[in-house]
Amino acid sequence: MEFPIFQVPYLGNGMTIALDAVLHVVISHGLAIGAVSMVVASEYLGQRRASRDWECFARDFLRVIVFLTTSVGAVTGVGIWLITSALAPRGIGSLLRVFFWPWFIEWGVFTAEVVIVLIYYYTWQSWTGERKKHHLRLGLGYVAAALCSALLITGILGFMLTPDGWPWDKSLWSAFFNVSYLPQLVLRLGIAYSLGTLFSVGYLVFTRRAPDFRKEGLAFFAKLALFSLTITLLSGVWYFEVVPSAFKTHSLYAVMTSRFSQQPELFWGITIGGAVFLLLFWLAALRKSVTSVRILVVPTIIVAVLFVAQFERVREFIRGPYLMPGYMYANQVLLEETPLFARKGMLPSSSWYNATARQGDPVGQGAYLFAQNCSACHTVGGINDIVARVQGRTADGIYVILGHTQEMVPFMPPFSGTDQERRTMADFLFHLADGTIKLGAPSRFTPLNGGSAHE
Amino acid sequence: MNNLFDLLLQKPLPDPWLQGLLFVSFTLHLLFALFTLGTAILAFSYLLIGHWGTKPQAVGLAGRIAKAFMSHKSLAVVLGVAPLLLIQVAFTIPFFTSVTLFAPYWLAIIVLLIVAFLAFDLLAHFLDRNRLVPLILGTIGLLTLLAVPGIFVLILTASEHPSGWIAIIGQGYRLNGPLALHWLFRYLHVLGGAVMFGAAFHYFFAVEDTEDRKSLLRLLVAGTLLQMVLGILLYASLPDKPGMMVNLALFAGVAGAALFLWYLFTLGNTGEVPLPLHLTVFAMMCILVSMLLGRQLIQNRTYLPLTASLQEKTRAHSRETGAFAQESLERYQAKLNVVYDNGATIYANSCAFCHGELADGAGPEAKNMEVRPENLAAVRTTAPYLHKILTDGVPGSAMPYFSFLDRNKLDALAEYLNATHHLLGKQEPVPVAVSAPDRRQAGQEYAQSCTPCHGMDGKGTEQARDYRPPVPDFTVYSLTPRQMFEVISNGYHGTLMPSFGNLPEGVRWGLVEIVFAKRDQGGKR
Repeated sequence: MEFPIFQVPYLGNGMTIALDAVLHVVISHGLAIGAVSMVVASEYLGQRRASRDWECFARDFLRVIVFLTTSVGAVTGVGIWLITSALAPRGIGSLLRVFFWPWFIEWGVFTAEVVIVLIYYYTWQSWTGERKKHHLRLGLGYVAAALCSALLITGILGFMLTPDGWPWDKSLWSAFFNVSYLPQLVLRLGIAYSLGTLFSVGYLVFTRRAPDFRKEGLAFFAKLALFSLTITLLSGVWYFEVVPSAFKTHSLYAVMTSRFSQQPELFWGITIGGAVFLLLFWLAALRKSVTSVRILVVPTIIVAVLFVAQFERVREFIRGPYLMPGYMYANQVLLEETPLFARKGMLPSSSWYNATARQGDPVGQGAYLFAQNCSACHTVGGINDIVARVQGRTADGIYVILGHTQEMVPFMPPFSGTDQERRTMADFLFHLADGTIKLGAPSRFTPLNGGSAHE
Repeated sequence: MNNLFDLLLQKPLPDPWLQGLLFVSFTLHLLFALFTLGTAILAFSYLLIGHWGTKPQAVGLAGRIAKAFMSHKSLAVVLGVAPLLLIQVAFTIPFFTSVTLFAPYWLAIIVLLIVAFLAFDLLAHFLDRNRLVPLILGTIGLLTLLAVPGIFVLILTASEHPSGWIAIIGQGYRLNGPLALHWLFRYLHVLGGAVMFGAAFHYFFAVEDTEDRKSLLRLLVAGTLLQMVLGILLYASLPDKPGMMVNLALFAGVAGAALFLWYLFTLGNTGEVPLPLHLTVFAMMCILVSMLLGRQLIQNRTYLPLTASLQEKTRAHSRETGAFAQESLERYQAKLNVVYDNGATIYANSCAFCHGELADGAGPEAKNMEVRPENLAAVRTTAPYLHKILTDGVPGSAMPYFSFLDRNKLDALAEYLNATHHLLGKQEPVPVAVSAPDRRQAGQEYAQSCTPCHGMDGKGTEQARDYRPPVPDFTVYSLTPRQMFEVISNGYHGTLMPSFGNLPEGVRWGLVEIVFAKRDQGGKR
């Protein structure tokens, strides 16, 4: 099945999803799981130590968290889905059939999460005395619901990378509990608490608190953070252990991109430097140095967010040519469609092309073939610009390369179409690169010159 | 047909169940979406009346209304998950097609909602502290929030009218003619519903005195009346004739609304007794459900046959692709076993289709190229020069840049080429003894015929380095003697390098000597 093609011009599809998703991961992991757990812990400490400071800290911090999670957090989460619905409808449409039940159950869990956190938030002032115990339980109930969400969503995310049985048996269970499930779950929880403690410390040092309490809080969160970071590191190693080598070998390139791929030392320098920076920050917090924490907390949050972005980028990138392993390529062409299109042709099989474009116009044909085959990753004139990629190549060279993309570049899908279509697209790309073809509507890859006018 | 597999054909539940669940979950979602919109509209209106109008006490009411925004919007978002999932599974083609047709608006929903939510949550916080800040926040929040139902209505309207799809893609993200009018009334009908349901909600949960109650009751009555008027317009603007069942459902809704209004009016006549909560909820839910039922039936009239016909096509396509299912899986498995972390694998996959398994430049694709692939086995060069070619490619040929392989991989490739073909090895001596006259003639020939491109120093002239492909740098690059002799004698196919086969053989060997000397000089420098 086929849908009209749309690409976010210049930014490209990958970057659009990434911008939304990283923001969502930081909030859903860091605030909704990590920081709320810290709030519950703080409330508990407030009761246990009869400390007004812990109690007030927890209450005030929760207000900020609820404000951010119910707006930015929830909307960016659904946002990932909204974006993929428009940019990869066939992919998301297939994915949610595989995971229909986890997805449906997640609806209930998500609703429970929101309802509990709202009650938790609104009853803070009123449930006092004897009822305080119930209030604490409510907090724990929320954390449990948030963990259930993590259990469900991780299964869906892990699927895309390490499909042990799914391509063969097509069963939900082998898709959900693939080998990367457990390490990724632990890793995500590690990230959640590493970020949660960091945000807690940030709130602690930038709001009005008693000096002694501040120091007590710093030491408390620092211990939890060092523990969480250790878990993150170990589960990160574990996770990479189970990822198939064919995917894993592209990790370095995933982070460095073409621009920096020849400087691997830069990668290690930045990664190890960042890790040392995080460690030093938490050691300063452990030593209760409020001033250092105040100066360093914002850079530390930036470093932590970059680490999250790096992990998500690697996870997304190294699955390479597949959107669904063994079933669908990143360009939403099925693995089993490629040999069919090689005989029958991509264009005759494309109802949207046949309904909208002027027939027999090679520029329009080339543009459509490019849109179908390449536009999931390549823009024209933006990020991962196809013009820069083919610049300098001869037309026959582009033709040759198009026939071998999946071997030459291990994370690229093959070209789908007949030999004649491959030639047409090669000529299109050659003239796009030399400037004789320009796009009129980049989001739909409608060429400016040469036709493909709509009826 | 057990090899038939297309995920878009799969239904996790029987159709009636999917549609039933979709209806129930959508009703819930819409209810909270209406509460959210209504809360925003009412809070902002009372804020304006309070701060700039004649009733300063309305600010208090605005504040109490705005407080509910956080819960309403949160629930509206989470409750939307199920209907979005179900409509995508039950009516995949019409829904996704419409989404992709209006993709920019659809994507804008994310930004609009975030801005609107933040603005209104902040508004509730700043309401009684300041006059200007809440006004700005409310204006931003309301404008962004009101855009969202407009987009959803747009997507649904388009999804229900497949005959207009081709026109939409030509018009660039617009509905035209009767569909545009239909969209407008539908959108306004949603906003009317928001006022009606928002007013009813806050009538029970935000009022403090009779004054507030009266004010909200007036809004509830006005909202219901407005809905009736808009409903008639919407009904009249329906592009297709609604059937008997639709009319019945809508009639039930209208009758319910009329009864409800009659009740509200009599209540207003008899005095100031507050409305009973249960009865109001019951009445309003009856109206909502029958109206939504009518809407669902209208939608099904296009969705169901369309989905069925497309499924038929997809099934046929699936039968064709099914023939390749097994081989595709096998190819997938084979690919999983190939790890690009060593020179041999990288060469075999990324290079051999042009340069050949023997690295002799005679790969299966060589015949398809004007500029023939290099005979790598005959190349003698340096590691930096090779790395530069691998990362930059050779413009004017098929040779692309390979910086999509990181440094470690390219180093492994270079090592492999050196181990198998001495690519980074020393230049071999010329195997033929060149006589003094031949050497002299070769010197003249080089100065006369070769320097215009290769330069006296062998690095290539400025101009020739811009040729496509450019001249090689003889100080860091050469070939085996036999291959060099070959190129001088026959030229290099597809490049500006001509054949010098008309020169005596001894002179050609003399030229090989001269070119090799450049490499020695380059090496010494």
